[in-house]
Amino acid sequence: MQSLIIAKKELKLLVRDKLTTTVLFALPFSMILILGFLLGEGFGQKTDDLMRISILNLDEGKGLDNKSWADHTIEDIVSTPNIKVEIIQNKQLAQNLVKTGKRAAVIVFNQNFSNKVNVCSFLSTGVNPFHRDGVYLEKLDVSIIKDTKQPATSAIIESVCQIALLRIVMPWMIGQAFEKLGDPEFIELLGKEVSLPVPPSLRLLIPKEKIPLGELLELASGKDVALARNYREKVGAGIQTALIGQFKNYNLTGKSWASLTRSINPTETDKTLTLYQNEDGAGILKRGAIRYQILVPSFTVMFAFSLILISGWIFVAEKRQGTFDRLLGTPVSTINILIGKFLPIVLISLFQILFLLAFGKILLGIKIGQYDWSITNWMTSLIFLPFATSICVASFSLFIGILAKNETQLALFSSIPVCLFALLGGCIFPWEMMPDNAKNLSAFTPQGWALDAFREIMPSAFDTSTDFQLILKSSLVLLTMGLILTFMTWGIFERIRLGHAKA
Amino acid sequence: MTLAHSVILKIQNISKLHGHFKALNNISIEIKRGEIIGLLGPNGAGKSTLLSIISGASTSTTGTIHLTGEQIQPGNLQLRSRIGLVPQDFAFYEDLTARENLIFFGQLYGLNGTTLANKVNEILEIIGLDEIKNDQYPRFFSGGMKRRLNLGIALVHSPDILMLDEPTVGVDPQSRNRIFEAIKKINTTGTTIIYTTHYMEEAESLCDRIAILDRGKIIAFDTLENLLTLAQSTINFTIKNDRHENFGLLRKNLPSLKESTTPGSYSLTSCKNPTPEIINFLVNGQIEIINLNVDSPNLEKVFLTLTGRHLRD
Ligand SMILES: Nc1ncnc2c1ncn2[C@@H]1O[C@H](COP(=O)(O)OP(=O)(O)O)[C@@H](O)[C@H]1O
Ligand SMILES: [Mg+2]
Repeated sequence: MQSLIIAKKELKLLVRDKLTTTVLFALPFSMILILGFLLGEGFGQKTDDLMRISILNLDEGKGLDNKSWADHTIEDIVSTPNIKVEIIQNKQLAQNLVKTGKRAAVIVFNQNFSNKVNVCSFLSTGVNPFHRDGVYLEKLDVSIIKDTKQPATSAIIESVCQIALLRIVMPWMIGQAFEKLGDPEFIELLGKEVSLPVPPSLRLLIPKEKIPLGELLELASGKDVALARNYREKVGAGIQTALIGQFKNYNLTGKSWASLTRSINPTETDKTLTLYQNEDGAGILKRGAIRYQILVPSFTVMFAFSLILISGWIFVAEKRQGTFDRLLGTPVSTINILIGKFLPIVLISLFQILFLLAFGKILLGIKIGQYDWSITNWMTSLIFLPFATSICVASFSLFIGILAKNETQLALFSSIPVCLFALLGGCIFPWEMMPDNAKNLSAFTPQGWALDAFREIMPSAFDTSTDFQLILKSSLVLLTMGLILTFMTWGIFERIRLGHAKA
Repeated sequence: MTLAHSVILKIQNISKLHGHFKALNNISIEIKRGEIIGLLGPNGAGKSTLLSIISGASTSTTGTIHLTGEQIQPGNLQLRSRIGLVPQDFAFYEDLTARENLIFFGQLYGLNGTTLANKVNEILEIIGLDEIKNDQYPRFFSGGMKRRLNLGIALVHSPDILMLDEPTVGVDPQSRNRIFEAIKKINTTGTTIIYTTHYMEEAESLCDRIAILDRGKIIAFDTLENLLTLAQSTINFTIKNDRHENFGLLRKNLPSLKESTTPGSYSLTSCKNPTPEIINFLVNGQIEIINLNVDSPNLEKVFLTLTGRHLRD
């Protein structure tokens, strides 16, 4: 009961302090907005070293395995290490992206791409798509929309496209050609072209010096049409087997680069295939911009912990004003005084965190949670985690507050949990931008744990799954840190109360 | 012995060490219920330290203090509601109004409802802050108003003993009078008062008994009247038509009489005030007095006599 009286008083003081409102609410609010403007579209995306290839797929035909050749080509590019593929939804968007310079080039597989590839062949009737430098794109109904202001990047993209097409079209053509070797028609052709010398001992039967292979086979079949055909097929198969034997390292019937080259299944690389997302947001506030998915949790966590400074300040002011001694002079038990000081900080912190999340959701259009979350998941993310964070904040506040004897000490002490930990925890520079050693250090900071968890509830473009284990674990770590600190604070408090230490 | 004269506070052999420095040195005094006790001593004598130990805010190195038989210790929280301390430095919330401050501390001592409301109104009247506006924060109070609020907060739980640590430092005479009146008024309701000061005038005018504290030691503890006997007073007088036989007579009666360089001027220093005797003698001898002044004893002189130093440096 008496702790509630103290809590009410503390809350009154906190609210009357104009600085509080500014630092706790307006500052993170404006920081997020300002940085939202300043930071480019790239911020908030995984800063991987992957090269992004944007593709517009308009292919309507079917190719090998009843799958369009465009899909085969995309699959090929995606499997290339260090390259990720982004699918652009429509032509207008593709043109816009290039026109605005957001993409250097977009590869377009047009409607007839599959049909064109299907008719590519070494045969005289087929289309030959090759030339000295690679593939004629227009012969395959492929085009590339290029930004003339980014010639280097678009040249690289084009070259990636060329190589992929070679890897698709070449095995397809070889495989087809090789199949032709077993065709009776081909053997008939071969039978006319290849003449075998007749040994002298057989000249009686065949009164020629040379006999074409076809005639020989016909002779052997004794005018039996079916048998003749069978012989021709056997020759065809023989030739194929011989060739396969000769070129053991290749699967000439493969029709795909991997099987043609008999590549051992390549170690599964991270294939990243994504749909284009408008990462820059809309409107003046750039609503929905992907960078807010990073900025909002970062600043929420950072400013949640900056409450330490304010509540610590009020604590130190209490000491300076002498009211702390007066408080200790009352019959109120130490634990009640502690709870009285603890509760309002938890409340304000909780309110602040939820306020900033709501601000992010409503004004900046950030995504929080997923439609398929259960009630428990929502509770874990929006109640348990913020609560655990608030407990940790309050514990830090009181710990620093009880240690600091004056405002200077407070500023000094609190700079560790407020600034240093925020930096190490990844609130100022995202982990992606930090060296690995620094990442390990973040595990020692409450901000690191809190941020880990808060980013988990706000899915980013690449990682849309939620690790509730991590959220729970982080919350428990925050609670534990809080508990330990509160215990220590209580100890110091009691020592002061019993006259063993000075406030 | 009536309850009014029973011992309320028994301080026995209290010492307080800061390292090797003895802030308090074996202090033993007994204070009776309803007394106004003055604790007089120069800066650094140990007054605040003693009050802090009595209030239970800090521990003594040795010794015990009993409040009506119950030992005062920092862990003994029940006793705290029987003690009120007005700290030397201001101690209130600058951003809560005077009323809010009083209500807050009143609640912490378990007061509520109309009891609390009445008590708060009563105190605001006693300390003369009942007419200030409700939205005026102590941050903007004058020094005197701050002092009075500081006093008021210690009264809200009606303590048996009220301890004031130099409550008039830096206040205007008007506020000082208000504070004095408040203390006297509180005392009439039976509250025992311990009043700490380094102004001897305050101790002289307010206190029933005065303890003189110097360098952590109580060097005297008695009524003002008795304390003053410890100091000597000096009387200076000049007479007209100085005649030798007169002086001889005077000399005979008052052997310590000294003749000054100015003819006809004499001075006499003694423990007992000799004024009536001298005036009697001069009047009877029909000696005309030109000039007579009495340098009567005060606590300053008592202190000087006892320590060889001045109370204020
Ligand atoms: N924490 C401390 N450490 C060392 N010396 C102290 C401490 N507190 C008080 N003192 C010393 O004890 C003496 C008594 O102080 P105090 O009780 O405040 O004197 P007063 O109130 O009579 O002016 C002073 O000399 C002061 O310097
Ligand atoms: Mg003092």
